[in-house]
Amino acid sequence: MITFHAVRVRYPGADADALAGVSFGAESGRLTAVVGPNGSGKSTLVRALLGRVPLAGGRVSVGTDAVNDLPRRSLAQRVAVVSQREDPAFPLAVRDYVALGRYPWQAAWGTPSGDDRAAVARALADAAVSSLTERRTDTLSGGEWQRVRVARALAQGTAAIVLDEPTTFLDIAHEMACFELLSALAHAGRCVLVVSHQLNLVARFADRVVLLSRGQVVADGPPDHVMRGETLERVYEWPLVVSRDPAVGAPTLVPLRKRHTPFP
Amino acid sequence: MRRPPWVALALVLVAVMAASLMLGATHVAPGAVWDALVGQGSDDVARTIVRSIRLPRVVLAMLVGAALGVSGSVLQGTLRNGLAEPYLLGVSGGAAVGAVLAVAGGVSAPSLIALAAFGGALLAVAGVLTLARAAGGASDTRVLLMAGVVMGAFANAAIMVVMAAGSPDVARNALWWMMGSVAAAGWRDVVLLAISLGAVGAALLHRARWLDVLALGEDAAESLGVDAGRAGWRFFVLASLLAATTVAVAGLVGFVGLMVPHLARSLSAARARPTMIVSALAGGALVVAADLVARTVRAPAELPLGAVTALLGVPFFLWRLRVER
Amino acid sequence: MSAFLFFRFRILTPRRARAAAAACLLLAACTTSNESPVATPALVDDYGVSIGPATAAQRIISLNPTTTEILFALGAGERVIGRSRWDQWPVEARTVPEVGDAIRPSVERILAARPDLVLLYASGDNRAAAATLSAAGVAVVALRIDRLADFDRAVRTLGHVTGLEAAADAAVDSVERSLARVREAMRAVPRPRVFVHVWDNPLMAIGGGSYLSELIDIAGGRNVYAERPEPSPQVSFEDLVRREPQVILAGPAEAARLRTDARWADVRAVREGRVLAYDTMLVARPSMRLGEAARALALLLHPGTVLP
Repeated sequence: MITFHAVRVRYPGADADALAGVSFGAESGRLTAVVGPNGSGKSTLVRALLGRVPLAGGRVSVGTDAVNDLPRRSLAQRVAVVSQREDPAFPLAVRDYVALGRYPWQAAWGTPSGDDRAAVARALADAAVSSLTERRTDTLSGGEWQRVRVARALAQGTAAIVLDEPTTFLDIAHEMACFELLSALAHAGRCVLVVSHQLNLVARFADRVVLLSRGQVVADGPPDHVMRGETLERVYEWPLVVSRDPAVGAPTLVPLRKRHTPFP
Repeated sequence: MRRPPWVALALVLVAVMAASLMLGATHVAPGAVWDALVGQGSDDVARTIVRSIRLPRVVLAMLVGAALGVSGSVLQGTLRNGLAEPYLLGVSGGAAVGAVLAVAGGVSAPSLIALAAFGGALLAVAGVLTLARAAGGASDTRVLLMAGVVMGAFANAAIMVVMAAGSPDVARNALWWMMGSVAAAGWRDVVLLAISLGAVGAALLHRARWLDVLALGEDAAESLGVDAGRAGWRFFVLASLLAATTVAVAGLVGFVGLMVPHLARSLSAARARPTMIVSALAGGALVVAADLVARTVRAPAELPLGAVTALLGVPFFLWRLRVER
Repeated sequence: MSAFLFFRFRILTPRRARAAAAACLLLAACTTSNESPVATPALVDDYGVSIGPATAAQRIISLNPTTTEILFALGAGERVIGRSRWDQWPVEARTVPEVGDAIRPSVERILAARPDLVLLYASGDNRAAAATLSAAGVAVVALRIDRLADFDRAVRTLGHVTGLEAAADAAVDSVERSLARVREAMRAVPRPRVFVHVWDNPLMAIGGGSYLSELIDIAGGRNVYAERPEPSPQVSFEDLVRREPQVILAGPAEAARLRTDARWADVRAVREGRVLAYDTMLVARPSMRLGEAARALALLLHPGTVLP
C-alpha cells in the first residue's frame, strides 16, 4: 500500500545521496521492516514518506496516489506516523494527547463525535494504556510514553502505520508486547511499516524485511532470505553469526567480539 | 481541572473593573459611579471623572491585558516555549524605535506617536521573519528567537543613540512612553484595539486546534496533517499584530503576555482554545488591577503601568521556579 | 536642585522658539500701536491653542513653578487652589495643596478640585493631559518660559486670564526697566567669556535659548554657547576647553566641586580662580526679581562696579 519508486534524496551540501534510488513496497496485511546501519537512510525514508524532504527523483505513493499530490489532511487520514522522539512542550493529559490523533478527521470548531470517542477508547485499549488515561504526559515512564504515542497513532484510524524505532525505551516485555501488537495490527489488515535497529525482533515478527545500506536496498524479502550472515556482515561491517534456535523459529543474530591488538 | 472556571474568571474581571471605576486619585462612591454610568446624578465632576477618564481607561486596560494574554499564549504555543512573550519577535524594539524617533523629531501628538510606534513594530517583525527565513530556519524556534534577540539589540542601540543626542525632554517623553501607560486613553484607542482584538482573536480562535497539534512538535504536527511552517507563520504574524496594536495605544506593558498564559494553561489543561480565552480574561483583569495600583499607590502621582506589571513578574517567577522544582 | 529645575524645564526647541517669537511679534504689534486701536489679535498659548477673551479665573491650578510665582506676584495668590510639587516659591505657595506633578499630572485629581483654569508646563508629554482637561470643559493654558520675552508674555497672559491686566503690565514694565538699567550700565565694559555649568553627566551648558544667557549679556558678559539655540544644550568637554571661557558660573555646591575636580583643573577659568557661584535663589528661575538677578550677575562678573 505504501510504495517507494526509485526514490532519490540528497540533502543540501552532502556529497552523496541519502537515498539513491530506493524501490520497495509495504503491503496491507503485512508487517514490513526496514533495517540497516546508522546513516543508511532509514529516517530519510520516513521523512520522504511524509513529504518533509524534497525528492531529487522518484515517487512515494500511498495506495494509488503520490504523496506529493495528496493534501496533508488526506495523507494524515491514510498514514499515521510515530516518530523517533517526541516531546510535547506543555504537559497534557494522556486522554487529550491520544484524542489529538483524531485531528485529521475533525473540523476546526467541531466537538469530538461518538466515532472519535470510540476510536480513542479502542486505541487506548489496543496499546494497553487504558489505565494511564488521566495521567499527565510528563509523569509517564519512557515505556509508558512510547505506548501512549502508539495509541495516538492508532486513534488516527488510518489504514497504514509507520513507526520509526518504536522500541527504543522499552524493556524486553514491552518490546515484545509492542511487536506483538504491530503484528496483530498488520494481520488485521493494516499496512505496518517499521524502521528498527532490533534485528532479532524484526526477524521474529516481520513478514518482510528491507535491508538498506548507504541509501540503497541491498536485500528485500522474508526474514530468512535477508538475515544471512555474509550479507549482514558486509552491510554492518562487523563480524556476526546467524543461528536458528528451534524454540524461536526465526533467525537470531549474534554479533561477535573483535580480537583487538592493544595500543602500543 | 477539566473545565476552566469561567464564571469565577468573569466575576473577577467585572469586580476588578468596578473597583477601578470607584478608586483612584479621588474616590467615587459606588452609587455615584452607577449614576455617572447611566447618566443620572448631579455630580458633574464625578460624571466626568467616571465617564470621560476612568471608563475609557479601564476598558482600554482590559483590552490591552486581553490582547497581550492571547498574543502570549499563541506565541508560547507556537514556539513551544514557556518563556515566549508577545514582544519577542521585535515588536517592542521596533515600536520603541518608532516612538523615540517620532518624539525626537518633534512630534508630540499622541496619535502620531502611536502610528510611528505601530509602523516601527510592523517593520521590525517583518525584519525578524525575513532574517529568520534568510538564515534558513523560518519555522525553527531557535533561529526565530535569535533573530528576535538581534533585532532587539539593534533597536536598543538605536534608541540609546537617539536619546543621547536629543534633549532631556525627548529622553523623558520617550522613557515614559516605553514604560507603558493607559493614562491618556481615549475612546478612539478603545475602538481601535477592540476591533483589532476582535478580528485577530477570531482568526486565532478559528485555528486554535493547530496550536494543540503544533505543541506536539513539528514532525508530529506534520504527520497529523498540519502544515507546521504555514501555521507557525500565521500565528507569528497575528500574535505580533495584536501586540503591536497594544503597544501603539499603551506603550510597552511587559510580563502580562509572559505570565498569564502559564496560569491559563494550568486552568485549561493546556488545551489551546480555552487557554486563549482564559488568557484574555485573566490578562484583562491583571492589567486593570495593575493600572489601579499604578494610579492609587502614590496618588496623585502615577507609576508607569509597565513598572507595576514588571514588579508583579518577580513573585511570579519565584512561584514558577518552585512549581517547576 | 536649581540645576535639576533647569534640567527639567528650560528646554526650548526651535519650534517653540518660533512659536514664542510669533507670539512676541503679535504682542509687540498690540502694545506698540496705541495710536490706531486695532482689534486685539487672539492670544495663543505655547501649544498653539488660542486663549479666550479676558476672564477672571478664580480657581486656578498652576502646575509650573514659574506661573505659580507669577500669580502670587500679581496678587492672585488666593486664587491658586492647587500647585505642583515643584512649585516652592514664594514661600506662601507652599501652603497651597499639591495636586500633582508638573509632567503628566493626574487629570482626575485636577478635575476633582474643580478648577476653572489649569496652567500646564508646555512640554510634549503634557499634551494628553491638556487635551483631556479641555475635553472636560476646563480652560487650559500651557506655557513654557525659556527666554525673557517668554516671561513677559507669560506675565501678560496670566494677567489676561485673571483679569489683572493692569498689574501684569506694571510688573512687566518694572522688570523691563530694571533690566534696562543694568544693561545700560554694563554696555561698555569689557565682556569676559562666560560658561554656565548646568549638569555634569552629560556635560550641559546654558545656551542661547535660555533667559540666563540673556541675563549674562545684560550683565556684561558673553555666553560662550550663546549661538546654540537650545536652553541647555549638551556640549563636549573638549569643545568647552577650546572656547577658553574666562569665567565659569555655577551654583554654590557645583562651583565648590569644580574648583577641586581634577578633570577641570586645566581649564583656564579654574586655573585663574574664576569659578563663581551665583545665588540660585535669585538666578535659577525667571521671576519678578529678574532685575535683581541681572544686578547680582553684573556684580559677580565685574566686582566693584557701581550700579544705579
